[in-house]
Amino acid sequence: MNQVVAIALNTFRETIRDRVLTVIVLFALVMIVAGLWLGSISLEQQGRMMKDFGLVAVTGFGVIVAAFIAATLVRKEVEKRTVFVLFSKPVSRAAFVGGKFLGLAATLAAVIGGMGLFLFVLTLLVGGGASGMVLVATALIYLQVLTVVAVVVFFSTVTSAILASMLGLGVFVAGQLSHNVLSLSRVGAGALTEAVSWVVFVVIPNFNAVDVKAAAVGEMTVDWGSVALWAGYLVAYMGVALAAASFVMRRKEF
Amino acid sequence: MSSTSPEAQHLVRLSGVTKTVHVGLRRRPVTILHGVDLAVGHGDVFGLIGPNGAGKTTTVKVLLGLMAPSGGTVALRVDGLGAVGYLPENPYFYDYLSGREFLSFCARLFGLGAGERKARADSLLRDVGLEAAADVHLRKYSKGMLQRIGIAQALINDPQLVLLDEPMTGLDPIGRIEVKRIIQRLHDQGRTVLFNSHILTDVEELCTRIAVMKGGRIVWSGTVAEALADSPEGLEVFFMRAVGAEPGAGFGDGRPAVVGEMPS
Amino acid sequence: MRRWLAPLAVAACVAVVVGYQATRPARAASDPRVFVPSATFFEDFSPGYRTSIADVYYLYMVQYYGEHIETDQRLDSMAALVDLVTRLSPRFTRAYQFGTFALLDADEGAKAYEILQRGVEANPEDWNLPALTGFLVYGFGKGAEKERIAAEWYARAAAVDGSPPYVARLAAALTAKGGEKEKAALMWAQVYADGDKYSRAKAVTALDDLLPEGREERMRAVAPLAETMPEATFEEFLAALFEDYL
Repeated sequence: MNQVVAIALNTFRETIRDRVLTVIVLFALVMIVAGLWLGSISLEQQGRMMKDFGLVAVTGFGVIVAAFIAATLVRKEVEKRTVFVLFSKPVSRAAFVGGKFLGLAATLAAVIGGMGLFLFVLTLLVGGGASGMVLVATALIYLQVLTVVAVVVFFSTVTSAILASMLGLGVFVAGQLSHNVLSLSRVGAGALTEAVSWVVFVVIPNFNAVDVKAAAVGEMTVDWGSVALWAGYLVAYMGVALAAASFVMRRKEF
Repeated sequence: MSSTSPEAQHLVRLSGVTKTVHVGLRRRPVTILHGVDLAVGHGDVFGLIGPNGAGKTTTVKVLLGLMAPSGGTVALRVDGLGAVGYLPENPYFYDYLSGREFLSFCARLFGLGAGERKARADSLLRDVGLEAAADVHLRKYSKGMLQRIGIAQALINDPQLVLLDEPMTGLDPIGRIEVKRIIQRLHDQGRTVLFNSHILTDVEELCTRIAVMKGGRIVWSGTVAEALADSPEGLEVFFMRAVGAEPGAGFGDGRPAVVGEMPS
Repeated sequence: MRRWLAPLAVAACVAVVVGYQATRPARAASDPRVFVPSATFFEDFSPGYRTSIADVYYLYMVQYYGEHIETDQRLDSMAALVDLVTRLSPRFTRAYQFGTFALLDADEGAKAYEILQRGVEANPEDWNLPALTGFLVYGFGKGAEKERIAAEWYARAAAVDGSPPYVARLAAALTAKGGEKEKAALMWAQVYADGDKYSRAKAVTALDDLLPEGREERMRAVAPLAETMPEATFEEFLAALFEDYL
């Protein structure tokens, strides 16, 4: 556990100082504020526009940070050979992967939490009132982004950083279309198509089981049971991805 | 320098260790180590020397478990990796950390508590002469300072066995003197040191025993005195003969020199 | 001289960039017929972003309306836009409200009625939409039944918690206008029972016109209305209604 905490703290220090992160966060804040402008042409629907577009900005930028920074987490250590310093000490590959993940998770909690809080305050001040659902939606977006991080960390153990990023973004998009894949698996197009579709449906993360943004703008009421189940599913998915990454790392030589 | 008694139990023993890697799209097998036999005794300062590509770094990595041997056995009579310290070749550390933060991070990896981490870090920073630069980011350290902080992190867990891969490479004369003093101090403290180096004068000065590697094989091992007995002109000449780099290569007693280059 | 060359070149480039943009002519009015994907397309491919896409199309819809109502008065794609936004975001009540008036301007009252009905179903707790539907029917509908249908919509709106008193009054008045006098009387009695001082005064005035003039007939007509209010209130109601008969 000590090793996981040590690596996590180190990774947090490393990623929170990343200039790329600063640029992305600033841009996201600009996008959120741009919701104000959009609101001005929406005939008094400023609050709704800000919440909706603001949450889209939080999601988009969170996923970009996840894809590009997570991809370099493992790669950089191997390329710069700091893995020699780590693995010559009693640090397991699983502790390394876990620590890297948790460190970036802590950074993302600060970044996404900060953006969500900023959006909440902005809608409170100029959006005609804020809803606690904005913060709930932010928390669920955070879980989605962490899932992308776990997937990208896995890909970065088997391929280059840039390809891992692209694959991570691809998985995020595929996850939004999860229900289409499910439909394909039930469409009666032949046993093989259905079987393959079902496998694909299980393998890609399901990112549209719960529409968090719709709840935040008052489009639907929240079924807390479904939300809790979905959150548990995402955490389990992260566990599988990180376990796969640890397995690959265990077989790697440096 | 005194050597350990040959009958003393070896701290490190490699027996017939081979290592084959598969390279390229067609996964062509390339053998890096061809049956390496190596024994390092308690308290030895052991020098592993050889030309570039001889397999020295690979041998150390196999010892540490960073690479798994394809064959043979590796015996480390220490208490796991917790009793080993390692300085990699051309080390790169986390340049956003200060020297003190970096040592604290390494100490935490060994499960040391906050108080103990601070004490160890402070003590080691003093030992390697980096007290004044303790709170400076590593990106601002010179090559010599990085080597010294590298040695400090290798000692953070008070190890029995210290592995140093090319500890003097790229250092200026003052840096080399400082590192040599540190290695000497480690020996005086009763630790076992194994280091790779190209700088044979340092090897001659510091080591109790040496082994010469070429083409993934140990071509000679023994004490420095034995090597110099073979080649009174000095360790450099001995080395050239051992790796077959001199005309009329080979030893006067008929021992063949190893010829040929390591497959690349 | 050379020292000034680089800043001069940069300043010239900036001047060209700003000048070019400043001198662009205003865009000619765009084609009133625009491509509007179906809601099904978006529901299939991005269910998690339905509301965001609805918002984008809502903003587009507002701009589309503003641009064309000022120029060619052609709102050919208005119906498709309102339909898309309200299908993607059924609880976006503002879209129904804006869409209704925009569709009226586009001469598509029937389409507005169809969309509003969907809105009412999706937003049962909102009195605005059924009230708006009643307004649409009464103000822009045709045929002999329009008062009755409008009255039903207003009655539906009045039944929603939080609806203002005037909605119930409108429902009652339109019911009377539609020829259902007994029903209208009941509704006015309800307005009296639930309403404030102003609504009560309006109820009494309306019932005065609705009920028979003769005292006996009036008493008979009023008797069933006792069911709509508590006894004490009914006594006040009778006193107000028969004031001129005392």
